[in-house]
Amino acid sequence: MTRLNAITLEGVLPEVFRGTNPDSEIWLSQITFTRGEHYLIHAESGTGKSSLCSYIYGNRNDYSGKITFDNTDIRSFSIDRWCELRQRSIALLPQEMRLFPELSVMENIDIKNRLTRHKSEAEIMEMLTRLEIDGKADERVARLSIGQQQRVAIIRTLCQPFDFLLLDEPVSHLDQRNNTIAASLIMEETAKQGAAIIATSVGNDLKIDSTRRIRL
Amino acid sequence: MKRNNTIWRLLRHNISPAQLTGYAVANLVGLTIVACAIQFYSDISSVWNDDDSFLSRDYTVISHKVSGLGSLVGSGGDSSFTPEEIADLSSQPWVRRTAPFTPATFSVGATLDMNGANMSTALFFESIPDEMFDIRPDDWGFDPEHPIIPIIIGKDYLSLYNFGFASSRGLPQLSEAMIGMVPLKISVSGNGKQQWIPARIVGFSSRLNTVAVPEEFMEWANSTFGETTSPAPSRLIVELKQPGDPAIKEYLAANDYEASGDNADTGKASYFLSIVTGVVISIGVIISLLSFFILMLSIYLLLQKNRSKLSDLMLLGYPPNAVARYYCILIAGINAAVLIAAIGIMLASGCMWHTQLVAIGVQPVAPWTAIAVTTAIIAVITAVNILSIRRTMVRYFKS
Repeated sequence: MTRLNAITLEGVLPEVFRGTNPDSEIWLSQITFTRGEHYLIHAESGTGKSSLCSYIYGNRNDYSGKITFDNTDIRSFSIDRWCELRQRSIALLPQEMRLFPELSVMENIDIKNRLTRHKSEAEIMEMLTRLEIDGKADERVARLSIGQQQRVAIIRTLCQPFDFLLLDEPVSHLDQRNNTIAASLIMEETAKQGAAIIATSVGNDLKIDSTRRIRL
Repeated sequence: MKRNNTIWRLLRHNISPAQLTGYAVANLVGLTIVACAIQFYSDISSVWNDDDSFLSRDYTVISHKVSGLGSLVGSGGDSSFTPEEIADLSSQPWVRRTAPFTPATFSVGATLDMNGANMSTALFFESIPDEMFDIRPDDWGFDPEHPIIPIIIGKDYLSLYNFGFASSRGLPQLSEAMIGMVPLKISVSGNGKQQWIPARIVGFSSRLNTVAVPEEFMEWANSTFGETTSPAPSRLIVELKQPGDPAIKEYLAANDYEASGDNADTGKASYFLSIVTGVVISIGVIISLLSFFILMLSIYLLLQKNRSKLSDLMLLGYPPNAVARYYCILIAGINAAVLIAAIGIMLASGCMWHTQLVAIGVQPVAPWTAIAVTTAIIAVITAVNILSIRRTMVRYFKS
């Protein structure tokens, strides 16, 4: 599996913004995200940051312009190719987390991890411990607080090999202390894999050393 | 296994056992009807295809209608068939083949010796090709070197004698076996020659209302004693393709022909039976089709209800086919169970009518046709289901 090194957006604009000329460093601009770098994307609500994540993750294509992975237009990718990318190259933490409320914390994480067997059960337990939710491992997700769910979702996102980590408002429901713990875990995992972080926020930034702050 | 169970636990949410049971029962009913109808039809068809059986291919004897005075005074009423008429008849779509009755062109008299009492009578002979007979006695044939004439007479003649003539005259009633032992002497004359030939009644036909002799004898006798050459036949025996076909009646009426046959009624019965079987199979297929739509609706509803779960799984990197697999296995499982149950019921109920069929001398056929057809129906239903589940999954992937 070759690694994904660069994601480039050329004149991309969500269809809902058609006819407008947003004051943005991404929409209708040319921007390249490079593996190994850390990006913090600032946005006001409603400026399309979740759309941006969905476009890059391949589950929406309602945009004009062109997005390329290492110079290949992603519109040409087959379903199989996307599945492979989602298992090996790009990890996404959606804003709404998309956990399965009827499954336990461990089952939610395992359902992702089993695709690639990236982490051992011990490693997962260790991450749960670091984020202080190890006591909830067998609890159904529906019974967790939003902040706890966010931590589960972060761990699940890390349970796969990746070159780009897309985090859509990853710490919106975390306090400063948990934000710091989560940020260090994410930084470690990303460094291990030599991957890039693209994190969005509307105000509560993930506490990482960012190479570039971008205004959406 | 535990890991697989996690996904199954997610996806089995919203599965409605009531809907699936409803589908299974409906499809089982439809499929069982189809299977039983096909099996019953094949069992009964074996009867039609069998020459000796009661519902065998139908034969009918066709003649011109005897009309009014002309024939009474012996003039003008020529009731024989012209070659054109025979050709036209043979070309009808419901005719498999025809053969003429060859009449004797010589005089025939018979004498039988019963305990010293001589009875003699004038007689007539006809012949038809051997394969048109419903019976095939062992010593059917004729050799001029060792002449003995085997004779087949209509069953009705024997009944007429036994129950009409014999009972009113105080004569003994005769069984078929007894008649076979009665020594007959046949006087054949014409063309200035006369010869006595021993004869024996070897069989009784329910198809032919005549006194029939082998064609070999007829050819020999007509050429030896006959006064005219190649007489025109006045009766034709016709083997029918589809007994009871309404076109037959129309044709006969249009040409002023009369038909008589041994099994005009069974012909109608078999025609009727094939229509009924067709109707029953159609009903079964319609029920199966309707149940198939119930299943499709149920599946679509299920996928719709679980849409967010399915999308989330694919968002995690699960390929559409991997997600669809669980539902495909479910459908295949239900359909396989329905198929096995339908075949089981068909075999069980088959046993019930088989005993009755065997009792009337019909040998049931192996159930392979019914099994193959029902399996094909289930295979098509399953394939369409699986295809549509997969297509829906691909649709969900894009959103």
